[in-house]
Amino acid sequence: MGVIEVNNLVKLYKGAKTPSVNDISFTVNKGEFFAFLGPNGAGKTTTISILTTTLSKTSGEVTIAGFDVEKQARQVREKVGIIFQKPSLDPQLTAEENIRFHACLYGMCSYRPAFKLMPATYRKKVLELAEIVGIQDALFKPIKKLSGGMQRKLEIIRSLIHTPEVLFLDEPTQGLDAVSRRSLWDYIDNVRNQYGTTIFLTTHYIDEAENVDQVCIINNGKIAACCSPEEMRQSFLRQELILDAADRGALTAELAGLNLSYTANGQVIVPYQGQKAQEIIATLKTPLTTLKIHEPSLEDAYVEFLNKAGGKAE
Amino acid sequence: MREINTIIAVMAREITVFFKSPGAAITSLAMPIVMMGMIGGNLMQNMAGGLGFQFGEFMLVGMMVNMLFMFTTMGMTSLVDDHETDFNQEMLVSPVSRYSLVIGKIFGSMFGAIVSMAGSLIVGLFMDITLPFSKLLLILALSPLMCLSGGALAMIVIGLIKNKKTANFAVMLITMPQMFLSGAIIPIKNSSGVLMVLSRMMPMTYCLDLARSVVYAGTAEYSSIVLFNPILNFMAIIALTLVCLIIGTFFFARSEKNR
Repeated sequence: MGVIEVNNLVKLYKGAKTPSVNDISFTVNKGEFFAFLGPNGAGKTTTISILTTTLSKTSGEVTIAGFDVEKQARQVREKVGIIFQKPSLDPQLTAEENIRFHACLYGMCSYRPAFKLMPATYRKKVLELAEIVGIQDALFKPIKKLSGGMQRKLEIIRSLIHTPEVLFLDEPTQGLDAVSRRSLWDYIDNVRNQYGTTIFLTTHYIDEAENVDQVCIINNGKIAACCSPEEMRQSFLRQELILDAADRGALTAELAGLNLSYTANGQVIVPYQGQKAQEIIATLKTPLTTLKIHEPSLEDAYVEFLNKAGGKAE
Repeated sequence: MREINTIIAVMAREITVFFKSPGAAITSLAMPIVMMGMIGGNLMQNMAGGLGFQFGEFMLVGMMVNMLFMFTTMGMTSLVDDHETDFNQEMLVSPVSRYSLVIGKIFGSMFGAIVSMAGSLIVGLFMDITLPFSKLLLILALSPLMCLSGGALAMIVIGLIKNKKTANFAVMLITMPQMFLSGAIIPIKNSSGVLMVLSRMMPMTYCLDLARSVVYAGTAEYSSIVLFNPILNFMAIIALTLVCLIIGTFFFARSEKNR
């Protein structure tokens, strides 16, 4: 049994004619890094909201760590942490006051009116996390004075401070610079290794999903594909050799003679599957001026897949 | 224990925000000048003759309780702010009772309400209206219950509202009828018909009457001012507060989740 079990989930918003989430099912195993991808309005945030108990479902069954999201909502909330798509900070409090509030609500410690009066374990953890995401200098500044990126980093600290069993990340790196993105993912990897945290990610940066265990693509409220990133790359895109020669005519004639399909448009592109690139190159006699091996990225596969499925890639 | 900690954390947040919002503090102190000094002062000078008791003292108690209700109700509108900033999501995803969140909000709003109640006392001093210190302490001791009652009533409406403009209108809609129908500044002993029925439905009527039963206990005016037995008042407050709290919290949680 997975730590996240979704069976035939449907969500129809009030007044809407078509469901935002339409009979979807998937399983996420304990400790797995799961990416939930899809274009805008595909149903990603709706699904996360239902999974984190902040939105009611229309039908279907959803359990988190064995607890039903509707009947055992409180137990589910104990197990999860979330970084919402939109900032959800109190703009009138300081960064640390926002974290303190969260820590108290999750029963980490009793409320004290000042950071200095909070337990040493809390203070240590806050300072440690602030250093990791690089906001130690902004910790005691009001939220209003923090940049969007800084606020995002603060939300990351807040979501991790109670060490959740399942962490939902709804576009967590939106607005973060490249250095902060990398340090965040390093930290999340560290958390996964140390605590076996299950990660449920939605992101616009498809490269962030390259190293996940499982990718699910949702399109128009339906699950369009669910597999490993490698399987997705293999299923939707072929590997290609990009070649060129001073005598392009000789090269294309040679490829035709070898029964290899190709497209010649500026360069000669030779798709291959089930063969090794080395074998193809070794058989060619025409002197090459260009030789590149194109390995499809997850993003290539994602865009290709959505184009085929009639969706619109973000 | 977790729930008590939650109530304290939510309450502390409201108080922190109060201190960081000069406007809130100024309003808390300015409102008694308008309500007590201007409205009450005018009534005292022009319409208070022949009542058979000191109108000033009657009005001061009424205004103190009214300020508790009014500022607790206004404080509850911060739920709308939290909805607009999405901070409600942060609270609602946490593993705590929704009642703790609402009660914490009410007690947090109580801080501004007590500042305002103190403002009424200061305005009273300028109008030469005072209360014995022991009676003031008793009213102060009852104020958490009164604020809980006012906040719970406000929740029924504010829990459903999602924008600030409507929330401000709702505050007026909740507080103004109560001020006039519950007897904060106008005696309602002789009210009848619809007005009497409405007054009996309002938690503030019982809060005011309880406060006045404390202030006028053992005086000759007691029977002409106090409407009900204090035990009946206390029970009515508890019952109405519980009903409003359950309905209001249900509406609030449901409106955020059932979209």
